[in-house]
Amino acid sequence: MSQLKQPLPELQIRTIRVALAGNPNSGKTSIFNALTGARQHVGNYPGVTVEKRWGSFTAKGTDFEAQDLPGTYSLTSFSPEERIAQDELLDGGHDVVVVVVDSTALKRSLVLLAQVMQTGSNPVLCLNMTDEAERNGLRLDLDQMRKLLGIGIVQTVGHKGIGVDRLVQAVRAAADAPVRRPRLVLGERMERAIGAIREKMERLHGAAGGRDWVATKLMMGEEEFVQRMQATDGDWGGAAIEEAQRQRKKIEASTGQDISLFVTERYFGFVDGLLREVVLDVPRADARALSVAVDKVLVHRALGLPIFAALMYGIFWITFTLGAIPMDWIDAGFGWMGATIAGFWPEGAESPLRSLLVDGVIGGVGGVLVFLPNILLLFIGLALLEDTGYMARAAFLMDRVMHRFGLHGKSFVPMMTGFGCSIPGIMATRTLENERDRLTTMLVLPLMSCGARLPIWMLLIPAFFAPGMRAPVLWLIYAFGIALALVLALLLRRSLLQGEDAPFVMELPPYRVPTARAVLMKMAERSWLYVRKAGTIILGISILMWAATAYPSRSDYDVDAQVAAGELSLSADEIEHARAAEDLRYSIAGRVGRAIEPVIAPLGFDWKMGTAMIGAFAAKEVFVAQMGIVYAMGETDEESTPLRETLARDYSPLTGVSLMLFLLISAPCMATLAVTRREAGSWRWAWLQFGGLTAVAYLVSLLVYQVGSVFV
Amino acid sequence: MTPRVEQPNLTSALEDYLETIYQLLQEQPIARVRDIAAAREVKAGSVSPALKRLADMGLVKYLRREYVTLTPEGEQQARRVYARHRVLTRFFESILGMGSDAAQRDACAMEHSLSDEGMDRLVRLIEFLGACNSCAPDFLDHFHNCPLMNDDAPACPHECDSMWGRTLEKDGGPMSIFDMIPGDEATVSQVNARGAIRQRLLDMGILPQAKVELERVAPAGEPVWIKLDGTQLALRRQEAEAVVIEASS
Repeated sequence: MSQLKQPLPELQIRTIRVALAGNPNSGKTSIFNALTGARQHVGNYPGVTVEKRWGSFTAKGTDFEAQDLPGTYSLTSFSPEERIAQDELLDGGHDVVVVVVDSTALKRSLVLLAQVMQTGSNPVLCLNMTDEAERNGLRLDLDQMRKLLGIGIVQTVGHKGIGVDRLVQAVRAAADAPVRRPRLVLGERMERAIGAIREKMERLHGAAGGRDWVATKLMMGEEEFVQRMQATDGDWGGAAIEEAQRQRKKIEASTGQDISLFVTERYFGFVDGLLREVVLDVPRADARALSVAVDKVLVHRALGLPIFAALMYGIFWITFTLGAIPMDWIDAGFGWMGATIAGFWPEGAESPLRSLLVDGVIGGVGGVLVFLPNILLLFIGLALLEDTGYMARAAFLMDRVMHRFGLHGKSFVPMMTGFGCSIPGIMATRTLENERDRLTTMLVLPLMSCGARLPIWMLLIPAFFAPGMRAPVLWLIYAFGIALALVLALLLRRSLLQGEDAPFVMELPPYRVPTARAVLMKMAERSWLYVRKAGTIILGISILMWAATAYPSRSDYDVDAQVAAGELSLSADEIEHARAAEDLRYSIAGRVGRAIEPVIAPLGFDWKMGTAMIGAFAAKEVFVAQMGIVYAMGETDEESTPLRETLARDYSPLTGVSLMLFLLISAPCMATLAVTRREAGSWRWAWLQFGGLTAVAYLVSLLVYQVGSVFV
Repeated sequence: MTPRVEQPNLTSALEDYLETIYQLLQEQPIARVRDIAAAREVKAGSVSPALKRLADMGLVKYLRREYVTLTPEGEQQARRVYARHRVLTRFFESILGMGSDAAQRDACAMEHSLSDEGMDRLVRLIEFLGACNSCAPDFLDHFHNCPLMNDDAPACPHECDSMWGRTLEKDGGPMSIFDMIPGDEATVSQVNARGAIRQRLLDMGILPQAKVELERVAPAGEPVWIKLDGTQLALRRQEAEAVVIEASS
């Protein structure tokens, strides 16, 4: 009995919640990856296009939950990233906030530390990229720095995983002994002003943490804080707002500086003072000499663009030539799978399940997964461009042109990625900082002729054009897509997405040798999203599309009657194909195709094309297979000569051009639509993309066909 | 109009005596030494030497041993000093909102040292403030209720267009980063942008006194590529033009 009365041993069940804050290019994500490994999730913050990354890990029996905040240079409320990072720091309930800084750019990156300190967070400073900083000759007095700041400080090399254990220890120590008011020295005038505003905030509800920050923001007159203060705290909030405005006027009158300059200078002043105390050796003046030398060539005024073009060409060449080899294996693999499963049923037997598995599931998913080698290679190439630091240079070179069309230098690379597949391209728009830039890029991106459309060009171009014309026509298709994307981007920025440009102050990080681990992780993460799309959306759509093309089916075929009547004499194979064609015509897809024929007839299309286009909505390359079925060719691919001959016989080259344009511009595939919805944060944009592009496609094809008909 | 007689020897103490006599004469036909001493808060014995010097200058006339009055020149001088005094007192009291005693004290201190030109300008300003107040009646109230002026004033509902952040005129005016050519070094003197652009420039360390070097310009003429504190940044034309510089020697 007495045993029960003894106190139970205290169980240390708790999870330490840690957030990572830092500048873009500070290596924050590499620290995050080193901490969480594969146990991480990527998503979006609700309603915005900002990426959210979170994960968990366990170290020495303690569970940690980590969140990678959006990379920001500061915590103002001007961009969604900054707003989110700020809200997370103020209200996120994190036990510890790790501020990751680039040790080679301490002055600028430590400003963020000062701001995080003001938010009342419990900070640990992570001096990342120490190897590079030390090579540059920088030497710091860490003990002095710890003493001055009163917080834990750890040196790391994120992409090599160096110092990560010590970082975890420091985080745990900080969680055990939180520092809520670290030693931040912002000067008497600023501190007095904050003190006066805080006094007025004494009676406010809510946590006391972050009041210095709120006071500063009120003084700077940031709408969001002013409104929040008015909304939640009525009179007391009003008193704080008034005091803040009074302090602002006072400071502006006595210093002759406006408040944003004054406050920003206080942060830099704090950092300067700190660095004066702790920097033992400053980096050599030529610390970035190698990087500077490389830039002399790579961003050379005349050579820069040709080199960029060559690099992009190289990546695409590798993607398609090297990718072709495993593509064949995958193709063969799915072929074998289909044949094996089909073999479970007796020869010639009709079974809906067999058809579903072989034509629907394997055909549909296989058709997407066959591009996986291309996607993997393309993503490796892009990850290399990003991790070396070249991407920022590309944006520097391209910005003038892109900006003229209302886009951003950084829009270029996602658009290039769109040549591989729109989905990773749309995902890559996350590198754009401004919401409007991002949406514009996303919406026009499907005009970049994706890899799935290549089989369509491979089928149609040789059908309608002489060998000498084929390469130029292919080139024209791509060029037309790009040109139209730019024009539409400009229109969007003049209509739905108008507004001032986001500030363009882009950091150009020094060139860095990327690690295989970082590149592969980036590749794996993005490729996985592609594969997942194949396993979920594409699988679902494939089954739907299969059903739409297989049902309802006929039981007696015209061709059988004709053969029986002796009107036709056909081989068994030909009869089989003819039956398939009749089935398709009779099916839902066939009926829809015929129903829309009057609508698409002015473009030069017939119901067969209409039916195949419904298939293309599932995945662009399905168009080829569907045309094969409609024309009773059985299994077809883009190499299929009989189908080409049939097309050349039935349609004029003008119809061919009109068709290619329509397929290039019109409704992106369903998976693209789904990704746009996810990345843009609402269906509104996805449907706009769908409807808008289809409408433009219709107009362009109509114009080309009708005007062309006059001349041909 | 007779030009005002210059009185190089008229010290501020003597000016004060003239003024006092003038004030006394507004209320009574003559001024007694006793009254003068009382008004100046000095002993009667120290008044006489001053009066004697003023009499020597021809500004004061003794009627009897203890009674003085002003000569026409004296009155002119006295009126001038008194006018200054009144203008300054009014300025300190009704415009700057100081107490009556403090206003008197500061007016006395200032009235002698202000040059004629400075005084003239100040009078014009005061007249303007008075006149403007009649056509825009809230004008002075605004000033008095502005937090810049009044520590106890409630917050101002107006967003003032402050002197900072306004774009300066361009022709022949200050140079910006966009005017630099590769290899140029300069010191930032001002960041002439507003809102998000300004804050972003400041956050990136583009502050007054910062040293920048232009490294290169993109093939199409923008963005420009600058070096700052050992880091490198690209700015579009709009951002680069907002940063006013002084060329480094």
